[in-house]
Amino acid sequence: MTLQHHFPALIIVIFLICAFIMPLLFRWRSTLCAPALLLVHLLALAMAVALLVRLYAGGPFYYHLGNWAPPWGIELKIDFLRVYMVLILVGLGLWIFVYALKDLAHELKREVTGWYYALYALLIGSMSGMALTNDMFNLFVFMEICGIASCAIISIKESRECLEASFKYLILSAMGTGCYLMAIAMIYMVTGQLNFQLIREALPAAAGLYPNNLLVATALIIVAFGTKAALFPLHVWLPDAHASAPSPSSAVLSGLVIKIYAFSLFNILFFVFPASFRQAVPINEIVLWLATLGILFGSIFAMVQEDLKKMLAYSSIAQIGYVFMGIGLNQPTALLGGFYHILNHALMKGMLFMVAGVIIQATGRRRVKDLNGIGHVLPLVMIAFTVGGFSMIGIPGTGGLISKWYLAEGALLANRLFFVIVIVLSSLLNAVYYLPIIINAFLNPYEGREPVKPVSRLMVGAITAGMIAVIFFGVYPKPVIVFLKAALAAVIGM
Amino acid sequence: METLKNLAHNYYYLVAVVLFVIGMHTMLTHSNLIKKVIAMNIMDTSVFLLFVAIGYIRGGQAPIMRDIGDGFYINPLPGALILTGIVVGVSVTAYALSLVVKIYRYYGTVDADEIVEIRSREQ
Repeated sequence: MTLQHHFPALIIVIFLICAFIMPLLFRWRSTLCAPALLLVHLLALAMAVALLVRLYAGGPFYYHLGNWAPPWGIELKIDFLRVYMVLILVGLGLWIFVYALKDLAHELKREVTGWYYALYALLIGSMSGMALTNDMFNLFVFMEICGIASCAIISIKESRECLEASFKYLILSAMGTGCYLMAIAMIYMVTGQLNFQLIREALPAAAGLYPNNLLVATALIIVAFGTKAALFPLHVWLPDAHASAPSPSSAVLSGLVIKIYAFSLFNILFFVFPASFRQAVPINEIVLWLATLGILFGSIFAMVQEDLKKMLAYSSIAQIGYVFMGIGLNQPTALLGGFYHILNHALMKGMLFMVAGVIIQATGRRRVKDLNGIGHVLPLVMIAFTVGGFSMIGIPGTGGLISKWYLAEGALLANRLFFVIVIVLSSLLNAVYYLPIIINAFLNPYEGREPVKPVSRLMVGAITAGMIAVIFFGVYPKPVIVFLKAALAAVIGM
Repeated sequence: METLKNLAHNYYYLVAVVLFVIGMHTMLTHSNLIKKVIAMNIMDTSVFLLFVAIGYIRGGQAPIMRDIGDGFYINPLPGALILTGIVVGVSVTAYALSLVVKIYRYYGTVDADEIVEIRSREQ
């Protein structure tokens, strides 16, 4: 057994170990903390790339923790989609962390920075775990770690809004995990298995004997992951939580955390439930219609927001709807669009929250109507905001167009013209609230006497990198699309 | 009659679901933050009870390696899972309570409705 063999587990473990020693390291040599976490991110990224190389050489493979094969041990599964998620999580986690290095000094007390790094490592590690695990109960444990970590990186700011928002988030997230645990109990009762693949094999027989158990479990799973990923009627916690958090936290919560729950729901729907079961129960239809409502209402709520970060948070509810729409349409091209949107939205929403952070730090303004002429004082940052806004709308040359294009094509191929109209309509709705900000920022004069505070070059650099990435994935999407096509062909062809 | 018989046979199922619903309802509707945390625990506990109950077989032996003749062992896995679940539940509770303490320091109350009132008065 070489070290390389253990890479799937090591990706998760190094983050967890790093989270454990970070507060101690902060007491001892506080300057070492940030480089250590950067190094861990780079190591994990290198390991994820190594996994990808191995995947290309030999196809999907499994890793048994502690060398215990299922049904006794926990199993990690490594296939193209999961590695795609891990690459997004770790890569964009690194990007947001670079921004956080300078931003945190303005938002947090210095003593808690070490704790923040610990929580950040815990969050990225648990999300990588959720992406790789092939075991129902292991998924629950990672969900709880992720839930606590994501509440804690909001409440670490200790302002009143943050505390209230994270308590609300915690209660709803506890409801979500409670529902999920109940669903595990229901499934375990009738199949006696926890491994995805083994449940899949046992389900057809169990579905004949105990259909009610499985129906309840399905409903609970949709509620659980819907709450966690802010699927429309269960989104109530998101605006407060994402708007009041420190900017790097908002970026990682909106960009990565809600996506990983959507991905887990996809995993369970497609890898645990057999295709016959998905046809007998209209799970996909339910997800599809909730996603449609989310896409429309998220945008409508976003229009009336006065606070910039709250507007971005509501926009996230609309955008996660696209990912769920891809899952709901149950069609390879639409799924491709949904998965491409995971990457795109993580990039653009992360970048937009970073821009909001820079604006708040430089001018102290966070109300949408106070942003007149801000493009004259923070030109580069507002150009990035423009690119992000264009990508949300889906203007050619940005990543947003490509994912919407594939979603719409998938809807057409599935003979669901209505959803093409929804996509077009939602682009219009996005334009209604992003364009006025952009126009006012550049065409109106800047009012205000107080000087604009200088902003760290590193933060502006991170934003610029994000902007370049959004344009890159909009102009040259081919490598990712080809990769996802091959990955999804394996899933749908099952 | 058949349904009633089933219910009587699987009473633990019913109890767990009733507890689950009580917990969920209180958690989502009660305005007292401490009661929300308690309700969260009730909800978790109901799942733990159900999980442990489905692993138990009447007359089964504890799953310890020894000669038990014609007897049979009960399934140890649900117990092991629930231990993990309890640990997770405890940490979430501790964190939730610490948040309640911080909120209490700001507002002097743990009632969500009163907090909303205080905030609206300030604006």
